[in-house]
Amino acid sequence: MTPGTSATSPRWTGPATGADLTLSFWRREPGRARWLAIAAASLAAAGAIWWSATRPEGLVSPLFLPPPLEVWEAFVRLLSRPYLGSTLGQHIAASLRIVIGGWLLAGLVGLPLGIAMGWWKRVRWISFPIFQILRPVPPLAWIPLAILWLGIGDSARIFVVFIAAVVPWVMNSMQAVDSIDGILVRAALTLGASDRQILTRVVCRTALPTLVAGARIALGNAWTTLVAAELLAATAGLGYIALNASRTLEMGILLVAMAIIGVLGALFSIGMHLVTRWVAPWARSGVAT
Amino acid sequence: MTPKMEIRAVSKTFHARGGEVAALQPCDLAIGKGEFVTVVGPSGCGKSTLMMIAAGLEAPSSGEILVDGKPAGPAGPRRTVVFQRFALFPSETVADNIAFGPRVAGLERVETERRVAEQLELMGLTRFRGAYPHELSGGMQQRVAIARALAVRPEILLMDEPFGALDAQTRTVLQEEVSRLQRELHYTVLFITHSVEEAVYLSDRVVVMSKGPGRIKCEIAVPRDASWRGLEIEEAGTRASFMQLKREIWELIRAEIVRH
Amino acid sequence: MLLLLWWLATAIPELVPPRVLPSPFDVVRRFVALAGEPFSGATLLGHAVVSLQRWGIGVLAAMALGLPLGIALAWLPPLRAVVTPGFELMRYIPPFAWVPIAVLWFGATTTTQAAIVFIAAFPACIINTQLAVAQVDPILARAARTLGAGPARTLAKVILPVAAPTIFTGLRIAFSNGWMALVGAELVVGKQGLGFLISQGQINDSAATILVGMTTIGVLGTLIDAVLQRTQRLVLPWRPVAARPTE
Repeated sequence: MTPGTSATSPRWTGPATGADLTLSFWRREPGRARWLAIAAASLAAAGAIWWSATRPEGLVSPLFLPPPLEVWEAFVRLLSRPYLGSTLGQHIAASLRIVIGGWLLAGLVGLPLGIAMGWWKRVRWISFPIFQILRPVPPLAWIPLAILWLGIGDSARIFVVFIAAVVPWVMNSMQAVDSIDGILVRAALTLGASDRQILTRVVCRTALPTLVAGARIALGNAWTTLVAAELLAATAGLGYIALNASRTLEMGILLVAMAIIGVLGALFSIGMHLVTRWVAPWARSGVAT
Repeated sequence: MTPKMEIRAVSKTFHARGGEVAALQPCDLAIGKGEFVTVVGPSGCGKSTLMMIAAGLEAPSSGEILVDGKPAGPAGPRRTVVFQRFALFPSETVADNIAFGPRVAGLERVETERRVAEQLELMGLTRFRGAYPHELSGGMQQRVAIARALAVRPEILLMDEPFGALDAQTRTVLQEEVSRLQRELHYTVLFITHSVEEAVYLSDRVVVMSKGPGRIKCEIAVPRDASWRGLEIEEAGTRASFMQLKREIWELIRAEIVRH
Repeated sequence: MLLLLWWLATAIPELVPPRVLPSPFDVVRRFVALAGEPFSGATLLGHAVVSLQRWGIGVLAAMALGLPLGIALAWLPPLRAVVTPGFELMRYIPPFAWVPIAVLWFGATTTTQAAIVFIAAFPACIINTQLAVAQVDPILARAARTLGAGPARTLAKVILPVAAPTIFTGLRIAFSNGWMALVGAELVVGKQGLGFLISQGQINDSAATILVGMTTIGVLGTLIDAVLQRTQRLVLPWRPVAARPTE
């Protein structure tokens, strides 16, 4: 139910027929050049609509959707002067600190725990029920409790991010170990490996791509949760900027904040994909097992 | 003289939903040092189960496995296995796969390297030492599996339908290779297969199992000095003595298949 | 066993102050109280119903828009080229980042909450539907063509039934994403609903209320998923063939 299950690569895919010329234009997969052309055209069209709709004589009031120029100006402004007490860089750093901190902490706890749960039935028997109970509760629902316990400070947000990330770390790691083909373990046994050697040399290595996939999902969760947490309990950070900008009707700044949030999220995702490729070059590309 | 490996009164019963399933009736089999013994039988006769028990990967419901007259103990490098599905470690290169056994046993780096090089040479894999399993064809993967199993210098080599997942051409090539290896190195081998031709070509003794739940029906010796030894399998298949043995064994199996 | 630990921990007041973690009995008592009397505007049931309503509107909208679009995107590749750049840009903005702007657009009303649910559920709907249709073995479409079926019929009678189980699984993910997002949205904005309830619990320093709320949220979430799984098995008894869905 929660992001605790493994995912395939988040790409659009098409039917494997390629350029099947017996199909009509609409059914045919466009070649690379054509694809780029269409995409660029659609972006340009969207941009044009945006610009024309938000002109003073246009259909959309600037309070609803700011014109592109305003957004650009807001971006420049954020880069040059501090906003709400910190520069843009400091806000971003504040957000990143919490997200990475919570995510790494969750990994430190979750990764070994998940592997242990996959490998030793005892551990699983004890720990699994805890996670079964934790899983359906949205990480955000922990925010009020966190605030109650820890006040409006960094620790409350790290706590919530931790909770959001730890579940995928644990569940994915456990599943990664679980889904190892039994024959590999048997082969290792016949070659004389001890239990511990099988765990470290065979299981962990083979499960690596899935483990990294779990890390990636955990990071995605962490980022999503952080933004929400910042809407509720923060004094700095991107979510905080967004909230304030909406209160003061500074639409340009709001959009810039949203855009930066999106870009960072995208960077995380792409970064993790690259890590998967780097760490396990032997894994079949495009499939997270 | 004590046989190298002895399977004594080994039987296996599985507990499934709804009761018990007998997979193997009590079987006795003795394999001498340097002997190549093949087990054939109809599908479902339990030959793979017999192999798993012989390898120490499964416990028999009764009976025991002896090596050099003493209980064999759990699975280990004294009796390595070549599986039908290759079972290569996907995260390791060819060289690392082969080195796995020696490394796990704590052998020194130099010795491990030597053994790896030796096996690569033996199986014709030197060019591929840095490749990953998924980059190799089925035949190459199985060669790696054989090399890996031999790198630990096992006392007994167990092969569970090793060529079953390969296409006919690759199978023929590998059969000839195993035959060559056996003539040079004289391993003690327990081999399982469906193919009677393969059994006759490779073995010193062919053991025929009955229909499941299986027992050893009978054993047929293949003369060491047979005229077709050392020939390519196509050529050997045309010799009269070869065809005679093949027919004999196949008749035994066919009788089992059509029984009741 | 957990329960036992919990009760023990709270039985000794010096160990864990009741303000931080109420005992199981406190929580149960609070649950009963909330079920009976209104708190911050409605009883527990009342809040739950409001939450479910908002969630329902959001996911239905996501489904109504996501399913046809997903199918269209898989069936008509040029369309994908048109939509992908914009979509990818928006995709990485978490649903909550939309909360401030949604409040400005729709005010502090149900529409805002439903919109956030929609934003949370829509990507999963559309991507998974598209994936499900795209990964149906193309040989089936070819077979249909050789038998004389036109594109519309092929789509309806051949492709969709095969893709259906995977689409359904994608819907389940989308629905649960929506539920998670709703809670967050209600924390920030609104005067009713389970998210609102637990934020009120925090303001009023009542950990018991929070816990009751959290449990209800969790239980409802699990129930929703279980009902969907049941439905899937009833309506589509054959197993999913192809893709594994994306989150």
